[in-house]
Amino acid sequence: MKRNIACLAAAAAILLPTLSTLSGCGSYHADIVLKVYNWAEYIDEGGEDSYEWDIILEDGGTPTEADAPSMIERFEEWYPTEHDGQTVRVEYSTFGTNEDMYNEIVLGNEYDLLCPSDYMIMKLAAEGRLEPYDEDFFDTENEKNYYVNNVSPYIYGIFEDGTVNVPDPDAPDKTEPHRWSEYAAGYMWGTTGFVYNPEYVDADELEELGWSAFTSEKYTNKITAKDNVRDTYFAALGLTYQDELLSHSPDEEGYNETLTGIFNRTEEEYSDPVRSTLLAMKKNIYGFETDTGKADMISGKIYLNYAWSGDAVYSLNEGEGDEKTPENQRIYLNYSVPKAGSNLWFDGWVMTKGIEERGKKEAAQAFVNFMSKPENAVRNSYYIGYTSAIAGEEMLDYVGYLYELEDEEEMTDENYYDLSWFFGTEAGVYADEEQRTCRQLFAQYPPLDVIHRCVVMDYFDADTSERINELWSQVKAESLDAWAIIVIVVTVVAIVLFLVFVKFGNKIDFFRRKPKKGYHEVGKE
Amino acid sequence: MTKLRFSRKTLGIPYAVFLLFFVIAPMFVILFYAFTDRNNHITFMNFVRFFSDPTKLSTIVYSIVIALITTVVCLVIAFPVAYILARSKMKKKFVILMLFVTPMWINFVLRVNAIRELFNWMGLLGETNYFNTVFGMVYDFLPFMILPLYTTIMKIDNSLYEASADLGANGFTTFTRVTLPLSMPGIMSGVTMVFLPAMTNYVVSDMLGNSMVTIIGKFIYEYFGTDWHMGSMVALVLLIVVFLSTWLSGGFKSEDTVRGANL
Repeated sequence: MKRNIACLAAAAAILLPTLSTLSGCGSYHADIVLKVYNWAEYIDEGGEDSYEWDIILEDGGTPTEADAPSMIERFEEWYPTEHDGQTVRVEYSTFGTNEDMYNEIVLGNEYDLLCPSDYMIMKLAAEGRLEPYDEDFFDTENEKNYYVNNVSPYIYGIFEDGTVNVPDPDAPDKTEPHRWSEYAAGYMWGTTGFVYNPEYVDADELEELGWSAFTSEKYTNKITAKDNVRDTYFAALGLTYQDELLSHSPDEEGYNETLTGIFNRTEEEYSDPVRSTLLAMKKNIYGFETDTGKADMISGKIYLNYAWSGDAVYSLNEGEGDEKTPENQRIYLNYSVPKAGSNLWFDGWVMTKGIEERGKKEAAQAFVNFMSKPENAVRNSYYIGYTSAIAGEEMLDYVGYLYELEDEEEMTDENYYDLSWFFGTEAGVYADEEQRTCRQLFAQYPPLDVIHRCVVMDYFDADTSERINELWSQVKAESLDAWAIIVIVVTVVAIVLFLVFVKFGNKIDFFRRKPKKGYHEVGKE
Repeated sequence: MTKLRFSRKTLGIPYAVFLLFFVIAPMFVILFYAFTDRNNHITFMNFVRFFSDPTKLSTIVYSIVIALITTVVCLVIAFPVAYILARSKMKKKFVILMLFVTPMWINFVLRVNAIRELFNWMGLLGETNYFNTVFGMVYDFLPFMILPLYTTIMKIDNSLYEASADLGANGFTTFTRVTLPLSMPGIMSGVTMVFLPAMTNYVVSDMLGNSMVTIIGKFIYEYFGTDWHMGSMVALVLLIVVFLSTWLSGGFKSEDTVRGANL
């Protein structure tokens, strides 16, 4: 036995170093290894499709990979220049859903910097899994604090206003309210609404219908919902309580707060009607989707797609095609946000608990600041297609580059689209009516009245989450009448019994084939 | 130094370790999660919740029905194909068999996407969700039915057919008394290999049924986003169904493996 163990040990001794060199493959030594966990395709990854690449193309050059490095590589190059030559290496991984990310964290995977969505930030904070940013990080005097100096005052305001109860590190039973901004720095944001095909959907009619487009017979089998509980529950809330939502005037005091209250209804008395709404929606819609809606929209298969504004911009762009696309293959889609109110969502950078002890807090904050440099925010925004939380002059120029009218005669007051609310200073672009009311510009930077009716959906606490998920699973599940279940169960049981009979039948004397008269079974004398 | 020799026992250790870590231990983890709540207290609530909820029972019944239909359709299509290929004197029959099996070499998601486009073009997407799902599964799992059937039928001794003809049996009797009983192991392994994945392969039902068809695999996936305990309970129920059907189809009988078709 001893020898066996020695054998194994020898084998292990040979194997282990090989394994460790394998895993260390491609990495180089750095003073700090920063583990960043972000959404898939949610950062400028360089190469084709990147801003730099396309700029070189536009100028008539031929770009190479070296001309357009990824944002990660740029950060790794930039960091030592600001921190006395200290080097950093980013271990970058991606996730597909907030829940996947959360499970990874709970299982004990040590990431330093995460980029979850609004509700997940609150959930992580409420569970005491996040580390607050340093006070210095918010010092506007320091011009190297790119985040706080460039973030849109509107986004920053949301982060300042929102609170979440965080457990006290010294007394875990006690919680006290903290501002979101202490824990999170905004990255991308947007609204949810409908991408629609104006050939089949009348804009005024859609505005009239609002959330009830989901159950409207006009769009039976031509509209999609999202295949995740939060987004579709939100839509169903909007549909169920649409009359109540519309009864509030945007001019009244605390309009946004009232809407926030309604869109955060999860108590049973409110969620039961929502269940019926969801079932009615399920009967009417084309399907639940997470990714296929964009393609189905562009191909004209469906007329309405409930979408995040970032995806909406993608659909609108893809539908238009590029200059090589023949006119008859282009499809012009629009985006609209229900009048009764909709969802405002954002993704932000948060640091995990214990990052200070791991000695990476500075690097993590530097990463956030680096991504918040307006020129870098433009690059990311260009690559991803979502709207950055960062304002700044470069961002405004970029918006102008994308949407501004070229003809100076058209730069009239009528065509002026005010963006001051987002940029904080007097800002705006001259854009055509479509851009201002239903196309990319509108989707990326909605006008103030739309913003006014968009609300953040809180995270569900453990009990609520269980209840709402159960509700969702029941909506998604097949529903059969009792008699149908009985019939099917009886049939299945019959088949099972038949199989058992086939299997064991010949072991029971009663069922055994008896020999004919005058014959006898061989071997049974 | 003694010569390095590996006994059968030593060579078995890696496999034992593999089974322990990747089969036995995960099952205990599932069992643990299924009977605990989120505070890790032992509870039977998940069990009660599962069996007292008609929508969950409906889903499991639906999954079984979809899987059964898929299996039967696969069998009906695969048996004649396998029989003809195995018994005919065709020279190039290997090529035909290969043609049936080739789709297995192409990425699964790609194939399902291709069918999706096809259905879209035909106008079936979003209209006939259940049909689409079953069609996709049959298309996907057909090779798993054909291959074991082909190998078992090919191994049937030709002299049995000669004897059957000598004794005056007609084609039908020969089929029911010779071919069918002797290809039973192939049928059983084919059925196992189609039925079980058909209950869980939610990629097919999501893509072709627009996420409007919920089978038990999708259920497990969705619960594992938020509630591992309930997810484990569903997985456990599925495991029991799997065990039952494997036992019934004789998957645990060792003598069947002699035919080399039981995978």
